[in-house]
Amino acid sequence: MWRRSLSWDQLVLGMICVLTVVMVSYPVVSVVLRSISKDDIGSELTLQWLAALFESGRSRDALINTVIYAAGSSALAMVVGVGLAVVAVRTDMPGGRWIGILAVLPMLVPPFILVIGWIAIADPNAGFVNIIASLAMGSKTTLVNVNTMAGIVWITGLFLTPYVYLLVAAGLSNSDPAVEEAARVSGAGRLRLLATIILPLQRPALLAALLLVLIMSAGDFIIPATVGLKSRIYLLPSLIWQNSNSFPPRPGMAAAQGLLLVAFGLVCIYFQRRALSRGGRFTLLGGKGATTIPFRLGRMRYPLAVVAMVFALSSSVIPMLAVSSMAFMKYWAPYAFTPKNFTLDNFSYILFKYPQVWPSARHSLFLAVLGATVCVLLAIALAWYVIRLRGRLSRVVEYALVLPLGIPGIALGLGILGAWIAIPGGLYGTLWILLLAYVTAHIPIAMQFVGSALHGIHADLEDASRVSGHSWLATLRRIDIPLMRPALLGSWLLIYVVILREISLVILLYNPGTIVLSVGLMDVWSNGFYPELAVYSLLLMVLGLLPVALLWKFARFSAA
Amino acid sequence: MDKLVDLSVSGLSKVYGRQSEVKALDDFSLAFPAGQCTVLLGPSGCGKTTVLRSIAGLITPDEGRIMIGDTVAFDHARRTEVPPEERRLGMVFQSYALWPHMTVAENIAYPLLSSGLSKAEIAAKATAMLDWVGLGGIGGRYIHELSGGQQQRISLARAMVGKPRAILFDEPLSNLDARLRERMRMELLALRQKVPFTSIYVTHDQLEAMTLGDRVVVMRAGKIEQAGPPEDVYRRPRTRFAAEFVGIQNLLDGTVRGRTGQVVHVDTALGTLNARGWRDDRAAGARCTVAVRATLLTIEAGAKRADGAGHGRVVRSAFQGSSSIILVDVGGTEIVVECLEEGRQEPGATVAVKPAPNAIFALLDD
Ligand SMILES: Nc1ncnc2c1ncn2[C@@H]1O[C@H](COP(=O)(O)OP(=O)(O)O)[C@@H](O)[C@H]1O
Ligand SMILES: [Mg+2]
Repeated sequence: MWRRSLSWDQLVLGMICVLTVVMVSYPVVSVVLRSISKDDIGSELTLQWLAALFESGRSRDALINTVIYAAGSSALAMVVGVGLAVVAVRTDMPGGRWIGILAVLPMLVPPFILVIGWIAIADPNAGFVNIIASLAMGSKTTLVNVNTMAGIVWITGLFLTPYVYLLVAAGLSNSDPAVEEAARVSGAGRLRLLATIILPLQRPALLAALLLVLIMSAGDFIIPATVGLKSRIYLLPSLIWQNSNSFPPRPGMAAAQGLLLVAFGLVCIYFQRRALSRGGRFTLLGGKGATTIPFRLGRMRYPLAVVAMVFALSSSVIPMLAVSSMAFMKYWAPYAFTPKNFTLDNFSYILFKYPQVWPSARHSLFLAVLGATVCVLLAIALAWYVIRLRGRLSRVVEYALVLPLGIPGIALGLGILGAWIAIPGGLYGTLWILLLAYVTAHIPIAMQFVGSALHGIHADLEDASRVSGHSWLATLRRIDIPLMRPALLGSWLLIYVVILREISLVILLYNPGTIVLSVGLMDVWSNGFYPELAVYSLLLMVLGLLPVALLWKFARFSAA
Repeated sequence: MDKLVDLSVSGLSKVYGRQSEVKALDDFSLAFPAGQCTVLLGPSGCGKTTVLRSIAGLITPDEGRIMIGDTVAFDHARRTEVPPEERRLGMVFQSYALWPHMTVAENIAYPLLSSGLSKAEIAAKATAMLDWVGLGGIGGRYIHELSGGQQQRISLARAMVGKPRAILFDEPLSNLDARLRERMRMELLALRQKVPFTSIYVTHDQLEAMTLGDRVVVMRAGKIEQAGPPEDVYRRPRTRFAAEFVGIQNLLDGTVRGRTGQVVHVDTALGTLNARGWRDDRAAGARCTVAVRATLLTIEAGAKRADGAGHGRVVRSAFQGSSSIILVDVGGTEIVVECLEEGRQEPGATVAVKPAPNAIFALLDD
């Protein structure tokens, strides 16, 4: 049967789809091939790397550590995130709105701030808490120690909390009050209501959140490579980095470890998708605009508010204050909190004398602006193809775009590296390979925003424009893009911020000529001078927040 | 309107999805005469929207040909397909499809943007159009600030402003409440009498179809069930399906007794009825079905008919304001009678059902 002959729009968009599918899937192939090749891809096949995963003691330890670390920090993130979501959305806790805002703030704050902030708070020697404890006890006392497994689990857990919060809070505020009212009328008390109705109804969101934070924690590089290495707790991401950068490098070993992360991530993402797609069974429409009766906390109101506030503040405001105060210190040591120790030298050094800072800031801004823009434009093209044209490749595109979500950052970088390093005169060593990595990793986020925005536009609005004499391109420009603007802007800002602070993805891909701000942090870190590190990370935060502060009013930050 | 043109579609077929068995359109052919309003009437899912959107160019039929005036808009055999933006049609959507990010004036002016007119000319035309639909002065507002009726008018103004060759209406009144729908129906009628334009009007509401149509086309499962002037369709539906769709409640089995010219006499549970159909080939003794509108029956309590037919017991009666519906069991057949005078009948009462004097009922083909 003759169908509409392939018009050029179908053709162009179809080609973009094919390229995107290739872009997001070859890193997986590359990691697999690399892990079973003796040398570069194409050399003799071997199982030695995969065997070494379990034979080498270091690798085995890292595996066990990674499991503990991922499980621990995910559990912490779940408890804090769900707890904050319930109290912020569903109870009469004083300051509930503020808790909600504080809970998502860490998304905008670079994780590095968290790391340095918590070092400032809980370093065994010079942390504020321990100094105060020592003063109180009269002798040196170490109350808390960040350089332990518990320490890194704590920091990572706090860093992951907002992701849990967002998913669960969205579910909780969309639920149908009638269901709860029915349970109450049937005689369920508050706690039973929570345990038997409210949380079980959120099962898809809870599962999705859990799997998301598991993937994120397993592939996180920053915390393992900073506090982790300092406290000699080796994790897979830090080992992958060492195996790639040590002399002689052992890329096969790195790939095998990466493969482990990829496999883990893809299994997680499979279950996460399943949970989300079965969510329909649990989705309760109706009760539109109706508000649920908030839980009354009674006498527990204020004590619980204090606990929630402490957690909410711990993940952003407290570390930010700690970092800010550290930035003004001549030296950072016990009892350093004196006027004599105040200085602005750190700022003048980092901002004006440190040679790397402006080139890397330029690279970072270039990549963040261009990367976010490419992601959003690409997402518009893909969403149009998948949702409006329902082209033949739609299903393939939808499946392929799940891949980057499941591949932990460092493993994705490894895959991209493995494919391009073998191509002489190619992208390797340029800024473009970093751009490619950023776009590959973040196109799913853009697609979620743009896709749901496009779904929300009634197709009649476009048809009316077509019948009124405007081509599909003019319709896209005059109707769809203006209507999607909040979502486009929201996803642009989110990707911009994430690219600016992203480190796991590009740590294996940069070279001295293409260094970016976030990677530069690792150099400053290895100098070991914390006040300068504090200034540097504040700079990173300010650059990230600037456009957000300017534009947040016009943006919408949820994909629902 | 520029120049009134005919539209026609021939042999249109459309199957949604790859393996689907249901044909949304099945070899559908129809001419839409210039200056007339053709109404496509049928239940939901019968393919009305598919016809309309094929004509607009918003979907591509699997087979067939679409002519607008003397230009070919679509021809499967010749692989011609004019995109919607070049067909110069106007369309009023069920959802109104007004753009929320534009003001009323911008919405109306939109079809003129590609016309090559100057900004001032476009603005003047949009204002004139706004006045014409009775909404002068609200050009600066946004859509969400308007009522459903106002949105409907703006949607109409937008469809007409570009002087399209024809206007397509897809159930434009079905989102309005009953009173507003009534008023808009009258306004559309007045509009059509003021300026004649070619239009295709899709609805599932027989009242709209009868009021607005110069011709009514009853559709069923992607095919034409019956086409003709509204009076014909209303009084003489061809088939059971059409009869039910134009709201005839009683379909009575009967036997042909004889005929007088075009009028056939049929023996039924209600006695011998006069009926007229579309076929001439019925001999005496043939089985057939007569469609009897409930308003063409009357009821008399306790009375006896001379011919002894039509006697029964009241099963139930329902008062519905301007009339009453009475359900009568006549020899095992339930007959629906609608009488205008208020007359609630007690269930169980013995009554006689009579056809209205001189009534000619519809003799169905099937
Ligand atoms: N986009 C579509 N995909 C699949 N089936 C469709 C689509 N649009 C319409 N159909 C089917 O085609 C048939 C005719 O639909 P439509 O023309 O919209 O009917 P109407 O306007 O008379 O209600 C229906 O059975 C409907 O389910
Ligand atoms: Mg329809």
